[in-house]
Amino acid sequence: MASGGSVIGPETRIRGRITGSDDIDVRGHVEGELTIAGDVRVDSAATIAANVHGRRIVVRGAIKGDIAADEAITLEEGARVVGDLRAPRVAIAKGGLVRGYVETGHAGEGHRPKAAAQTKKAAPVHHAPAAKHHAPPKPAAKVTVSKAAPKPAASRGKAPPPVVPVLKKGTKAALTKKR
Amino acid sequence: MASTVIGANITIEGEVIADEDVVVQGTIRGKLSAKDGVVVEAGAVVEADVSGGPMTFAGQVTGNVTSTDRVELQSGARVIGNVKAARITIADGAHFKGNVDMDV
Repeated sequence: MASGGSVIGPETRIRGRITGSDDIDVRGHVEGELTIAGDVRVDSAATIAANVHGRRIVVRGAIKGDIAADEAITLEEGARVVGDLRAPRVAIAKGGLVRGYVETGHAGEGHRPKAAAQTKKAAPVHHAPAAKHHAPPKPAAKVTVSKAAPKPAASRGKAPPPVVPVLKKGTKAALTKKR
Repeated sequence: MASTVIGANITIEGEVIADEDVVVQGTIRGKLSAKDGVVVEAGAVVEADVSGGPMTFAGQVTGNVTSTDRVELQSGARVIGNVKAARITIADGAHFKGNVDMDV
């Protein structure tokens, strides 16, 4: 074996951090972190529970974790990846399985788009109550609409009181009687 | 031959557990446990407790060594730690500091 290449054999388990500049060939189990300046090959029998970083990464095995490459990621047949893929070039061959966010085009850490997507998702939830405070007349309608949506489903089940004003004495008792 | 090779420019911080041979050319910090042979080549650095079968050291090993078979310290090896093994050979030119336990 040439002194340049590293092999994690099929009967080997590594828990911790692997770093370096060699090429590495993973056939066994790695848990933790794998950060290599060289190429990474993940064999079909390999299982990796770690974020993987390398120059070129070729996957035929299972990876749970994010994969980032400086040049390219190739998922070949048999690859099973749960995690994000980031590389200038990403190839997924027939039979390669991925569950995660994929970003091609530029190397390194493309975390911004993911964060933006999250804020977009979160945005509507935050806007509704914010609108309530700012402009009373219009948002009031909006609020009732948005609140009306969940109401029918809920009212069928437990019949909760609608938007509750300040309760007078005895109203609570009356409500419980209705139930 | 060897199933696991830790190359010269690779550093592992953590635990290596192998049911096969391990050749270390790079650096391991933590723990190294092999079922079969362990070879620490010249230039390699192992700062870990090492256990396994037959072992050959030509590099630097700091930690306790336990072998079910033989331990061979070759010329140029630097071993600091206790060695427990069935048989031990220390070549001329090997550096060694530690206890030897060979169940007599």
